[in-house]
Amino acid sequence: MPSDETGRAGSPGEPLLTLDGLSIRFKGAQANVVDGVSLSVNPGETLCIVGESGCGKSVTALSLMGLLPVPPAEILSGRAMFEGRDLLGLTRRELGEIRGDRVSMIFQEPMTSLNPVYTVGDQIAEIVLRHRRIGKREARARALEMLRRVKVPAPEKRLDDYPHQLSGGMRQRVMIAMALANDPQLLIADEPTTALDVTIQAQILDLIRTLQDESGTALILITHDLGVVAEIADTVAVMYAGRVVEQGSVTSVFDDPQHPYTIGLMSSVPSLGKRTGSLATVPGMVPTVDTMPDGCRFAPRCPFASEACRREAPPLRRVDASQAPGHRVACVHAPLETTFGGVAA
Amino acid sequence: MNGKGHDNAGAGAPARGDYVLEARDLARRFKVGSSFLATPQVVRAVDGVSLSVRRGETLAIVGESGCGKSTLARLLLRLLRPSSGQVLYDGTDISDLPEREMRRLRKDLQFIFQDPFSSLNPRMTVGAIVEEPMRVHGIGTRASRPQQVADLLRRVGLRAEYANRYPHEFSGGQRQRIGIARALACGPRVLIGDEPVSALDVSIQAQVINLLEELKAEFDLTLVLIAHDLAVIRHMSDRVAVMYLGEIVEQGETDTLYDAPLHPYTQALMRAIPIPSPRSRKVDSGLTGDVPSPLAPPPGCRFHTRCPLASGICKVERPPLATVAHDRMVACHHWEEARAGIPSAAETPAHSHAAERRFALYREHSLAGTAAASDRTP
Repeated sequence: MPSDETGRAGSPGEPLLTLDGLSIRFKGAQANVVDGVSLSVNPGETLCIVGESGCGKSVTALSLMGLLPVPPAEILSGRAMFEGRDLLGLTRRELGEIRGDRVSMIFQEPMTSLNPVYTVGDQIAEIVLRHRRIGKREARARALEMLRRVKVPAPEKRLDDYPHQLSGGMRQRVMIAMALANDPQLLIADEPTTALDVTIQAQILDLIRTLQDESGTALILITHDLGVVAEIADTVAVMYAGRVVEQGSVTSVFDDPQHPYTIGLMSSVPSLGKRTGSLATVPGMVPTVDTMPDGCRFAPRCPFASEACRREAPPLRRVDASQAPGHRVACVHAPLETTFGGVAA
Repeated sequence: MNGKGHDNAGAGAPARGDYVLEARDLARRFKVGSSFLATPQVVRAVDGVSLSVRRGETLAIVGESGCGKSTLARLLLRLLRPSSGQVLYDGTDISDLPEREMRRLRKDLQFIFQDPFSSLNPRMTVGAIVEEPMRVHGIGTRASRPQQVADLLRRVGLRAEYANRYPHEFSGGQRQRIGIARALACGPRVLIGDEPVSALDVSIQAQVINLLEELKAEFDLTLVLIAHDLAVIRHMSDRVAVMYLGEIVEQGETDTLYDAPLHPYTQALMRAIPIPSPRSRKVDSGLTGDVPSPLAPPPGCRFHTRCPLASGICKVERPPLATVAHDRMVACHHWEEARAGIPSAAETPAHSHAAERRFALYREHSLAGTAAASDRTP
């Protein structure tokens, strides 16, 4: 795995997690739901995986946590190297030791991931007790400290609250407190702010950023919201129909978008600024696993697609030497203007 | 104004303009927790809202969860009866109209729901779903309606053959198109969309937004949009009303409101939106705390518990929604101070030159592609 795969220019050292060639298929499906995905994230950095429903972003994350139901899912190939071990090859017991300790995960809907019959304090303490040799009293103290760190107001009182007594934003704070209670090296967050109102989302994004600065935890954040990506990412991987179609530093992907899907996605988001005509669209819809096209999976929706695109899947490649290191795109036509001519912008 | 004759005495001020829908001091209370030993509590979901929808405009009602925007939408269409206040359609008070008379008006007032998965009857074919409103309102004949259904389906970008299929066979975007076709079936004059695009993926959302805009122009519709996405609202609407805890806190023309929001809540909402460009400003979580429970809204100005400008008066006196400029209303004791705090608009461009160039290239080629595609399918 080339070390320039991710990174703020000049970020030192080895990636914390390197996922290489992950392919996953569900039983009976005609095509892989995740197809040859390679990613990496450096210590303390944030990788955003962005894409629309069905692009494989959540399946990728679940497989890293060993949370994918196997069967029906089957991991056909791939390695996920984390601290010298392949996460995809661990036994259930080994995974149990790592999960919630070295790697943790938060989900979109905190209500479904919190246990309704235990108090918030007990749930945080439990995860600490599971991985640390400490007493109950210390674990409770840790729970209180975590609630304070995620800025839950009146944490002493909240410790004995049940999840239903909290608002959506507070629940997500509690989830974050649980996830970070054992100082993990890596946090995987699947759409952590999607269910929240914007003012609460802003608070949570702010909190995640602050905690990350304090603790040096690396973050893989899965989202469909390009605004959230721009806000929080160091590096970005754009996924479409199970493949990474573009990846690179957040500035290179936003300032120099190469893949027609990335470009289409960015130009179909309405802006908060003054209206400038109707929105660009990505025509058609995402193929299902049973209608997956050969070649480039975006070709049927791509305004630039040619015969070559439909024949063969384009590899992720660097466009040219002048490009930011680590910026890669899976499109034979990139950069578009060399093939399709420039338009006065 | 057509409905003038029905106007209640004293209510019709001069120069009201041509309003299709009006809410006057509208309120809706719900009793909750009235079961088993508990004293029932009252939620004031909508509390004293006055609002006018002009003919042919797109009016957006924006706010966060629990602000009462969906209740307001249902009150405007009389899907819910108000606890007090009036709803006027074409100048006629419909808040107390008997159901039989109301049914005639339903033809004019149609609703698009947020969730395209639960709003379509799974046991009916798409054709039957779209045809039903025509049948109910006696539009067309049994023989002519299938053709009308086919035309409608094509108009919203679906194939006419889909009429024989069932909703589960379609994606979220397609189902939303089916919902739109159904809403259009009886030739409405006003469409109210409750978060009509928020359940859709970004690329599909753009398709449906463009479709709604085309249909609005083609069928001469008035559109009321309930939404929480401020970017979608800026793109689609002419005027905006911002709600917080059952009240309208600010109202005005879209561009002026976005360029200079006057209410501290609107300002906070705007600053909390993440901009899809790493070169833009960072989101500002200036607002602390959660929205208070609508069961026990704070006294005085309901926003004072989270407001950076709150003072003594805000805790005791509810600020009225006052007109502060042409077509501009705000309910805040300190709006002038809030206005002074708006940073000068020295916007950095959101996108790089390279990105803009590729967006233009994409747009040019996708338009060429659409034109070619529509040539092929007559």
